[in-house]
Amino acid sequence: MTRARNPARTRPDTVIADYLISPFAEFAFMRRALVGSFALAIAGGPIGVFLMLRRMSLVGDAMAHAILPGVAVGYLIAGLSLGPMTLGGLVAGFAVALLAGGVARVSVIKEDASLAAFYLISLALGVTIVSLRGSNVDLLHVLFGSVLALGDEAMILVAGISTLTLAALALIYRPLVLDTVDPGFLRSVSRAGPAVHMIFLALVVLNLVGGFNALGTLLAVGLMMLPAASSRFWSADISVMIPLSAALGMLACYSGLLASYHLNLAAGPSIVLAAGAIYIISLLAGQAAGLLWRLLPKAHVSR
Amino acid sequence: MLDRRTLIAAAAAALALPGALVAQEAKLPVVASFSILGDLVQAIGGARIELTTLVQPGSDAHVYKPTPADAKAVASARVVITNGLKFEGWMARLMQASASKAALVEASRGVKAVEAQGDKPGHGHGGHSHRGLDPHAWQSVANVKIYVANIRDALAAADPAGRLLFEGNAARYLAELDALEAEIRRQVARIPPDKRRVITSHDAFGYFSAAYGVEFIAPRGLSTETEASAKDVARLIQQIRRENVTAVFVETISDQRLIEQIARETGAKVGGTLFSDALSPANGPASTYILMMRHNATTIAAALAPNS
Amino acid sequence: MSGAPLIRFDNLTLGYDRHPAVHHLSGDIAPGSLLAVVGPNGAGKSTLLKSLVGTLSPLEGAVHTGNLARVDIAYLPQAAQIDRSFPMSVFDLVAAGAWGTAGLFGGFRRKQLAVIHEALTALGLAGFENRTIGALSGGQLQRVLFARLLVQDARLILLDEPFTAIDGKTAADLLAIVKRWHGEQRTVIAVLHDMDVVRKHFPQTLLLAREAIAWGPTHAALSADNLLRARRMIEAHDPRAEPCAHAA
Repeated sequence: MTRARNPARTRPDTVIADYLISPFAEFAFMRRALVGSFALAIAGGPIGVFLMLRRMSLVGDAMAHAILPGVAVGYLIAGLSLGPMTLGGLVAGFAVALLAGGVARVSVIKEDASLAAFYLISLALGVTIVSLRGSNVDLLHVLFGSVLALGDEAMILVAGISTLTLAALALIYRPLVLDTVDPGFLRSVSRAGPAVHMIFLALVVLNLVGGFNALGTLLAVGLMMLPAASSRFWSADISVMIPLSAALGMLACYSGLLASYHLNLAAGPSIVLAAGAIYIISLLAGQAAGLLWRLLPKAHVSR
Repeated sequence: MLDRRTLIAAAAAALALPGALVAQEAKLPVVASFSILGDLVQAIGGARIELTTLVQPGSDAHVYKPTPADAKAVASARVVITNGLKFEGWMARLMQASASKAALVEASRGVKAVEAQGDKPGHGHGGHSHRGLDPHAWQSVANVKIYVANIRDALAAADPAGRLLFEGNAARYLAELDALEAEIRRQVARIPPDKRRVITSHDAFGYFSAAYGVEFIAPRGLSTETEASAKDVARLIQQIRRENVTAVFVETISDQRLIEQIARETGAKVGGTLFSDALSPANGPASTYILMMRHNATTIAAALAPNS
Repeated sequence: MSGAPLIRFDNLTLGYDRHPAVHHLSGDIAPGSLLAVVGPNGAGKSTLLKSLVGTLSPLEGAVHTGNLARVDIAYLPQAAQIDRSFPMSVFDLVAAGAWGTAGLFGGFRRKQLAVIHEALTALGLAGFENRTIGALSGGQLQRVLFARLLVQDARLILLDEPFTAIDGKTAADLLAIVKRWHGEQRTVIAVLHDMDVVRKHFPQTLLLAREAIAWGPTHAALSADNLLRARRMIEAHDPRAEPCAHAA
């Protein structure tokens, strides 16, 4: 009877520890990636839930293009330096978001068309500015970071944005919910509607631009929208969806990083793919609204 | 028989002659595809050519998008000099679109090309890379001597009257290249043989590596084109620790952060900036080809040699 | 009717894009009134309510609501723009009515919770607390909105076509709530199109056809003559007519 050579190494709990924990124990960059992406997921999930409920799910992608003129101006002034370019990106992002939101509020144009109009103008402006300078550097590519390359400033940025976002959301939670479900009612009892809307937009821009800078566009937008959409299938109560989206986002970060490590896959996309897998599972099997539940015979009248 | 008509014809011919002479003194319009080539062509062509360089210092020739001004320059050029080895994927279309009648010259003709290393960490993979030839042949000074010869011959073919000038310039430049080669070898010699390996982000130093014996490790995902996987980064960190690589180099700002992360975790030094695909702007440390090669060699030696 | 009026209309002209919907309306509404506003389509009834809520500014003239603050007015629009797919429970939607006392982030105190539960019970919604608003029928949703109005505890309640497209039983229950408000000395103004309901339950009526055709006790206001005049007024309206003689 032959024995396995290292009996200790094949015991179930060691194997699990090896597989699930040791990559993070052994490498600092893995720990940083985990913490940084967790911070993004914790704030991104709740923001994503509100974006989804306010029918603004495509804002993330639009915003990635809208910030170009700000980045270009930062580049014109200070060259390829991250600080001014990020700042420029924030300014452009805020301008587009607030202009789009304001116009939608006071004119016949709705939110989505308003944003489309402004981000396209912004993008074209940015491309023009870049071509004036004559250089061919892909500015947006330079601005966007990577989850495996989180420097100290990037960590502080993401953590700070996360904290600020959660605090602000807690503050405006009630009027924001009302503004989403029954804006007419809010308008009839309070003047807070427009202000709350603007604050929310500002939070969206802050999370997106900060997220781009630290972790790249795909990851920032992906961690915002996919966990939020997934949470809808598990609960029909917004006060449950919000923490659930954050939790699902964190689960995606953890499993995505592990997949990147063990299966040699690109890191950012791995996390988003993990979030996508969670979404598909939720879509099919989510207790509140999963598709598979519809196929099962149900009691017609609850007694 | 000198009748009136003949006289007028002769007068007209006499008037045209100075015009013809003036035309011959006009400079030869030449287009070079990117900054490194531009520097070489200018050194050889001297005052006889009117040079336009398409991809400026600081821009990336791999993903360059030609402008209308470029099309105009190419259309009115007599000679267009490219690197070849598939470096300028956009040149063929530009030549066609501008309907240029210029002679298209590949400076790397005759160079013994090396296969692209592919983006793999270190050397464990049996060398099968299906990525085509490595175009960065100018990283070896010996290859650039071939470049110079090709450029000289192309210019002389288009402007025979300038042949002597071109040959003189080329000869002088070749002598400078010899001095450069010696200096690079001197710098590398400062580094202990077991320390001659560096980490860099871009897979562009294959020819340098072959010519001067410094190993360049460019793991997948550190360049701007592909994304890194955690496994790659982990393996690289382990390799750096195991083999005691002491220096990493950055090239562009986008990979700087990942390199710094790796340096932080392994204790390796960020040795400085290397220039591979383009010269630096005029106020930078690598504004000509010779300055660029010297800068790279000095920077590498400074990071790896014991007394630094 | 003693005491100061709750609402005064002063030569009020309201409209959208410069087209007047309400024309030179003047009059008072006493506190505690139970007033029906009726009239043909396009008569400006909803517009008038909007001016009371404050979401529409007068083109000319003024609306005086005295010492009424925003929290003292509760408004139920004709077609509530509620997002039915929003994941919200019946309880939360009704609880929003406590906005005035709970504010931005106060938790609900025991007294407020009691008020909310009482409102739900009064509307026959006990047991519906955790149901999603998307799972409600039209009549049930209207009950929920009325429960919210109850919670708002307002001095002035404005209802725009509250009984449209709901079943008879629900309509009867909602009317009972309206009666209850009247008994509590609250002022209720309701836009209605069912004349039977108006005649049976509303002591005062404003017959509006852009101008006030009749205003006063219901029976007199809704005479055949007046109704005919109202209809004629709306049919005769010419959007391209010259500015009227009353204009300042």
